[in-house]
Amino acid sequence: MGTVFDKKIRVLDLSMGWAGPLAGQMLAEMGAEVIKVEDTHYFDWWRGSLSMGPPEAQPIERAATFNTANRGKLGVTLDLLNPRGIELVKRIVAHADILIENYSPGVMERFGLTYEILAPINPRLIMISMPSFGYGGPETFSRGYGNTVEAMAGVTGLARYHDSRQPYTLSNALGDPVGGLTGTFGILAAIYEREKTGRGQWIELAQVEGVIPLLAGQILEYQVTGKVPAPRGNRHPDFAPHGIFRCAGGEADAWIALAAHREDQWRGLARALGIEHLASDPRFLAAASRKANEDALDAAIGAALAAISADDAVARLSAAGVYAAPVNSAPAVLGDSQLQERGYFVPIERAVVGTHLYPGAVARMSATPAAQEAPAPLLGEHNGAVFRGLLEMTDAEIAELEAAGVIGTAPRTYRKAS
Amino acid sequence: MRYRALNDIKVVDLTQYIAGPYATKLLAEFGANVIKVEPPAGEGGRRVGPFRPDTPAADRGALFAFLNTNKLGVTLDLKHPRGRALMRALIGEADLLVENFAPGTLARLGLEPSELLEAFPRLSIVSISNFGQDGAERGGLLNDLTLFARGGWTFPVGERDRAPLTPPGSLAQYVGGLYGAVGAMQAILARDLTAHRGQHVDISLLEATVATMIYETVAFQYNGILRERAGRRFAVGPFLIVTLECRDGYAGLQCVTDKQFEGLCNLMERPELRTDERFSSALKRMVNNDALLEIVAAFFLEHDRKWLYREGQARAIPIVPIPSVAEVLEWEQTRARGYFETIDDPALGPIRIPGAPLRLHSHRAEATRPAPRLGEHNREVLGARLGVGAHELKSLADAGVIAEA
Repeated sequence: MGTVFDKKIRVLDLSMGWAGPLAGQMLAEMGAEVIKVEDTHYFDWWRGSLSMGPPEAQPIERAATFNTANRGKLGVTLDLLNPRGIELVKRIVAHADILIENYSPGVMERFGLTYEILAPINPRLIMISMPSFGYGGPETFSRGYGNTVEAMAGVTGLARYHDSRQPYTLSNALGDPVGGLTGTFGILAAIYEREKTGRGQWIELAQVEGVIPLLAGQILEYQVTGKVPAPRGNRHPDFAPHGIFRCAGGEADAWIALAAHREDQWRGLARALGIEHLASDPRFLAAASRKANEDALDAAIGAALAAISADDAVARLSAAGVYAAPVNSAPAVLGDSQLQERGYFVPIERAVVGTHLYPGAVARMSATPAAQEAPAPLLGEHNGAVFRGLLEMTDAEIAELEAAGVIGTAPRTYRKAS
Repeated sequence: MRYRALNDIKVVDLTQYIAGPYATKLLAEFGANVIKVEPPAGEGGRRVGPFRPDTPAADRGALFAFLNTNKLGVTLDLKHPRGRALMRALIGEADLLVENFAPGTLARLGLEPSELLEAFPRLSIVSISNFGQDGAERGGLLNDLTLFARGGWTFPVGERDRAPLTPPGSLAQYVGGLYGAVGAMQAILARDLTAHRGQHVDISLLEATVATMIYETVAFQYNGILRERAGRRFAVGPFLIVTLECRDGYAGLQCVTDKQFEGLCNLMERPELRTDERFSSALKRMVNNDALLEIVAAFFLEHDRKWLYREGQARAIPIVPIPSVAEVLEWEQTRARGYFETIDDPALGPIRIPGAPLRLHSHRAEATRPAPRLGEHNREVLGARLGVGAHELKSLADAGVIAEA
């Protein structure tokens, strides 16, 4: 079986970090040919820093984040501050269907790589720009990252314990994966439109505008009730118990999440944890009284769980029809039985680091399964293949570009690009 | 908004609550013709809040009103043979069937996916479920709390001496919806470009949640370091990513690069910190992170968050004045860009909803159509499109196969 694109789509990926690279990586999974261009001086910052190890250890080839977000791409280096580097970008654009960039507004303008300049070279080009706050408006040139975009969308302000004002950043820099996914959807929609019109277009993804819809419920709650939604921590506004509890397990940091919304779930929970007497305790008899006495209820459940292992507790509660799950650390996620049974993680071998399991494609396609065997490229790994193969350069031309520092495989010292 | 990029894609939408409806909302927002098919009592999402206190009899809560914009609404009782026959006729014309029932439900409704794909070669089916269509736990329960927990988002957040802190709201459900919309477009493009037939797309919410961890699963294999709760810090590392109290609330700081550290020292008017033996490299800033945090936290506490934001941005340091959702709604940037859109919802009245998550520049978008009333488009879809006559529509209504608000 083939892939969605069977190499019929070529992507030029100029992006760094996570949001843009995730879109390129998903397109690679769909079978697009993705050429990731990095500046030899200013390579993808998700590779980390040259100072993190001696040169022979190749520290910038050892970043788990970079190596995951750039799987399946060809890696090319170009000096984007050199006019000859920009000229080569344009030569790739002539052969590309998609261009992905997530620089701050102003950088592509300084490179001379705006959609207005590139569209005449290739009218079928679909270009996506992924600034934090959009082109236009007072924050156009403000800096943002996944974490700060998440905050500006209103997410961080809601992430507090129920009894504290301190907000917490989510664990995954939410603006980035949501930006990458939203951008991927936009690219696919534009490809569909191009099949009808024959023309490409510029897509503008203000990353914060992709995250705000995920809080539609809270934004609408504020409008219809006039009250700013109160942070809920691990609790639910209407139901108890609803929380995260420590389980037995010695030194291990073992926690489970559990929730009972309906009466039968509450009675099932009490039976499963051997605290049946609480189900007939007047403080916990009705939903409203359980909510009113939530501190006492949580204390009683916590005491019961302190004597039960997390695995055992989740199994008992699930069997009783109660919402229950372990609070999984990264290694626990790797060991999750349902993920393993479905073969979610895929082994990939990569130079420098060896073979590891990587998160697989989420969309399981019955007729066009994901292409997910190829690793992330080493810096400049595919210079020869792309310049010789795609741009039909001679070995002498490539050697001259290397000598002139326009391309290369050895990282140079940092230089500011913007 | 409503773009027209996808305007010849026909979608039959059998989804409910959040993940499925968000997937089909995105398709509709970019032009697809989405027919939402609900049971005569309406899908469960209509009965989820928030509600306007003064419209208790509305056929929808506000979240439903947001998640189902630009869709046509039809009612059909799929347990009734006539309802099923009409459903099959709708599916026969469609490019996509999107559903988020528990696995096995479609087959029980006489809509076995493999049989539908066989009968209608251009059709693709997108199924969004808790754990995927196979595996021992495919019928298992999930809610937001347990999805975040099992999917790995919760473990690294919160104070060391407290329980891990769950993320707020239903974020992971929306992420699943995004994967659903992407999967739907993958199926359409595969049909048109390479595979020349439709297919079944299986999306697991658990896998969608794991896919959007920040790849700690891979990092752990590389270095064996377990990422644990780091209090107000995002994580322990050669950087300072932290949420800090300031004079009038809280602000977030992201200080990762040498340049940003230099800017932060200048902002605090403490240039000597740049050459301070404890902080002179990224590695040293990791080792002496507590000492650095103490200095920065004291500085933030003496300043207002908007001042910190402005002065930080002026030095290219991403500082943010952690806003409430009310402040997001009134944020000058969203106003200047016309991001929130006021729709006149038939039940809720004028209400401001988040706009499109991205902008296509090939054409001008039209105004959003409000979410349908229960059965609002029965006549338009069943009558005009499937040719069901007025007499038969009445007989279907009398038999309870269709219903209208």
